[in-house]
Amino acid sequence: MPVNIEGIREFARLAREPSELVRHARGNIGLWLTLIAVAAAAVFMLMSGTKFAVGAATLFAIWAILAVSLNLVVGYTGLLSVGHVGFFGIGAYTMAVLTSEAPYEQLRTGVIPTFGWPFFAVLPLCIVLAGLAALIVGVVFNRFRDDIFVLVSFGFAIIAYSVFLNLRSVTRGAFGIHEIVRPQIGAWTFDGNVAFLLLALVFLGFVMLISWFITTSSFGRVLTAIREDEQAIEVFGYQATHFKLAVWVISAMMAGLAGGLFASWTRFIDPNSFILLESVLLVSIVILGGLASIWGSLLGAMAFVLLEEGMRFLPFIPTEYTGQARQVVLGILLVLLMLFRPQGLVGRFRL
Amino acid sequence: MTANNEALALETDSISKHFGAVRAVDELSLSIPRQGTTSIVGPNGSGKSTLVNLLSGVLPLDGGMVIIDGAGLRVVHAHETPAHGLTRTFQEVRLFDQITVWDNIMVVLTERKLFPSLLERVRPANRRKAQDILESVGMWEKRESMAMELSYGQRKLLEIGRAMAMDVQTYLFDEPFAGLFPQMLERVKDIMKQMRADGYTIVFVSHNMDIVRELSDRIIVLDSGTLLAAGDVEPVLGSEEVIEAYLGA
Amino acid sequence: MASNREGARGLPRLINVPGTRLIAALLTALALGYIAWKIGQAPPQALQFAFNGLAVGAVYALLALGFTLVYSTVWFFDLYYGAAAALGAYGVFYLRTDPALGSRLDINSLPVNVIFGAVVAGVFAWTLHTMIEPRLRRRASPAVLRTGVAVVAVAMGIYTAIVLSYPEHLQLTLSPAVGLATAAVAIAITQRVAHSVASRVNATLVALIAAAPAAVLGAWCGYLLSGAPGAGLYLSWAVSCLLAGCVGLALYRGLYVYMRERARSPLIMLVASLGILLAIAALIVIVFQSAPRPLPDAFGSTPWNIGGARIKGFNVFAIGVALAGFAGMWLLLKMTSFGRAVRAIGDDEEVSKVVGINTTVIIAVVFFIGAMYAAMAGILTGHDTALQPRMGLLLLLKGWIASVVGGIGNLYGAIVGGFVLGLVEQFGIWDLAGEWKDAISFGLLILFLSFWPQGLLPRR
Repeated sequence: MPVNIEGIREFARLAREPSELVRHARGNIGLWLTLIAVAAAAVFMLMSGTKFAVGAATLFAIWAILAVSLNLVVGYTGLLSVGHVGFFGIGAYTMAVLTSEAPYEQLRTGVIPTFGWPFFAVLPLCIVLAGLAALIVGVVFNRFRDDIFVLVSFGFAIIAYSVFLNLRSVTRGAFGIHEIVRPQIGAWTFDGNVAFLLLALVFLGFVMLISWFITTSSFGRVLTAIREDEQAIEVFGYQATHFKLAVWVISAMMAGLAGGLFASWTRFIDPNSFILLESVLLVSIVILGGLASIWGSLLGAMAFVLLEEGMRFLPFIPTEYTGQARQVVLGILLVLLMLFRPQGLVGRFRL
Repeated sequence: MTANNEALALETDSISKHFGAVRAVDELSLSIPRQGTTSIVGPNGSGKSTLVNLLSGVLPLDGGMVIIDGAGLRVVHAHETPAHGLTRTFQEVRLFDQITVWDNIMVVLTERKLFPSLLERVRPANRRKAQDILESVGMWEKRESMAMELSYGQRKLLEIGRAMAMDVQTYLFDEPFAGLFPQMLERVKDIMKQMRADGYTIVFVSHNMDIVRELSDRIIVLDSGTLLAAGDVEPVLGSEEVIEAYLGA
Repeated sequence: MASNREGARGLPRLINVPGTRLIAALLTALALGYIAWKIGQAPPQALQFAFNGLAVGAVYALLALGFTLVYSTVWFFDLYYGAAAALGAYGVFYLRTDPALGSRLDINSLPVNVIFGAVVAGVFAWTLHTMIEPRLRRRASPAVLRTGVAVVAVAMGIYTAIVLSYPEHLQLTLSPAVGLATAAVAIAITQRVAHSVASRVNATLVALIAAAPAAVLGAWCGYLLSGAPGAGLYLSWAVSCLLAGCVGLALYRGLYVYMRERARSPLIMLVASLGILLAIAALIVIVFQSAPRPLPDAFGSTPWNIGGARIKGFNVFAIGVALAGFAGMWLLLKMTSFGRAVRAIGDDEEVSKVVGINTTVIIAVVFFIGAMYAAMAGILTGHDTALQPRMGLLLLLKGWIASVVGGIGNLYGAIVGGFVLGLVEQFGIWDLAGEWKDAISFGLLILFLSFWPQGLLPRR
């Protein structure tokens, strides 16, 4: 890659003319929004104290992994999937079932065996199982697109939820699974919240790196072409279904990773964490942040977490309704975005 | 395989396509020789675009067989046609709208297989090739703009450039001249003349008889999904049934 | 995504593999065989399941009818449709006509009433502006007309807010409206009759003279009707259906019209309506809290015993409503000029606009009717089970599935698909637990999309 001399010249020219610089920055919505989000995060940290902020940041990291992975499917490939929470749940339940040692007795199903495996042994399994599920689902879903794809992906989310809720002999149903272990390397456990946050951020960075690698490769370029015109790209010798299936599986594997982290972080999961609504919110985050933009997804996840935490400080909203208030704001934001900015805040693709 | 067959780039054996009760292409058998320019003409609704779509696998065949480059295919998969040395453009320009002009060319220059394409970045050879093609269609300055921002003529040119980047033997151009300003039209004509001189096989659909006369070595006339006439340009266009098909119906 | 818009509107093509049809036939045979086997095992139970299936199917059929109407007109999936179902059901709860409900939770709040009042005022302003104003333009100056429209609209808004604020006096507040509506219908009919009997006579004058007693009679009837014991519940159904319809209309006119002008793909509309669904669902939780809410039993709770099956009167009523809804929509679409316009818009909106159909008005009415169907389905579900804030999305999806099963965009397909979905769901949970029924219906959807993408009764 040659040095971008033109860019440097441009910058030098801008630096000589401060007003130009301002005008240049005014058009750059992404930059401004990132600055605002970071400033809001800083203010929030100051106001709420470290413990709270660390929790919010961990939540952000997990949502961001989900959003970045979903953006591969929604933003780059153009498949509006509302079923991502299913893979998230598969990852989380794999982690929960295989690491928890909590006893569970129920009249109907008898004693469920516990495994008590360590975190780092199970995490690859979370990823692989989510990927396998995605492979099976993807083979069926590959033929659908547009509205029908949205419908069947809704279906996958609901079927996955039904399984989590009703396959009691594995998932323990509505009772949930307790005592999920935290990660452990040798004798050192990620017990502290800060340590776990760092681990989650490392995984987030890893996922972003892979996404960046995928989207800047030839593979990523083919994905964007599939998004634009699936039939035309076939004429040029690409088997679009294979590419779609591949990115679907990769994205699901990332969601499985996020699920494993989530289960280990909360140490307790039940099917209510994996309802359809979570998936819908996730899609909103991706669209809000920006389609076909990794930074956009990050921004969306940050805005999402900050919105809820920020709502706590508004005096006229009772604390039990902050989640609902955030949902209202998110819904209205979606409508406004679709009206005025269909590519999301910093996205590069209009629906 | 006889020597005669090897001289054929494309052949169809009584292919059919029905849309409900409409027989868009009806038991059509024709052959297109290797090299040179063949034009497909016919009144509106005579099945020209359907034929191109059938040949390139965009529409599935209802019956018959397509023989591309000596390989007989009862089912033409669109993604396999380049391997048989065939590519096409579309009647309604179908670029990848929301990616850059540069990526529109690069996307056909890269690895087709899944895993190699994951590892591949832009190769210098491909970069050079894409630059050559963009320069030859006069789009190098526009390489950073989105394809959707181009004018109609530029889109048409870019689509032809994208097909050229495939570098296969046979090109199907569906209405490459429709709706172009004279200046652009000359440009497309020049490109096609150059390709003919370079020994590629060009098949194009057109309504413009002047261009058909000027560019084509052979002509195929379709009427309501069947072959009306085929052969050298002047005798075919002069024959009575062709004149009748154009003026009568 | 230009190419994606054409084709079969996002429906997948049937794979051209010879085995596909065989597998499809085998699956059908398997399903039918299973049902036949179960019926042979325990006929009374089978009757029970079949009846349950029909009862659930009635709700799905209603949903699918409205959904098909909207979808085959504008060709995008309007997710507000789900919110309309929830709004309708919660509306009945809000207008708690049963004193037993009211005491538990005081939910009647001014902001809600004001919002709905504003929506109704807006809808009325638009309706008067587009329907009445052009006819009166010659007789009155624009300023007078505009003031008149504004006054009527604001009055209607205030009236709505009052109706919502005093749910316990629903009979009292609504009887003038019922009376006026009866009178309006009477006037319209007399005008028609007078017009056809003697076209020379000034029909309007005759109608007004003849209709005066009819109007008085209508108002009186309306008063009696709405004052009848137990009428409060049914009035609250009507009110919440109308409100849900008004919100649907307002959303179309106030939002979707502008959005459709710029939207490149139907997905934009889908995402925007998803935002609306999210917002309304969250507002419902804020107003009503997230715990499930019951609705009073509408037709007594003792089931009849027929052939060993326990059959609730309300479920029979629901089936009746579905059939009536189908008949009404059939009449509307096949017999009226409105129906012709709707079908023309569904075939090609641009051409209909050129031909002179006022597409905005027609589509707005379509949204109104569609939302009313959804609200009615929501109310029926609410009475049968209980209200949950999440019910909207699930009902929407069921209606969507039913219309895919029946054949997207086909009226007959909608009602057939609804009942088929209901029956399959109920027979499916015979051996499984009842919680699996959502998974079963989506399994059915995926099977249908894989093997019969056009549905049971394809659109033409």
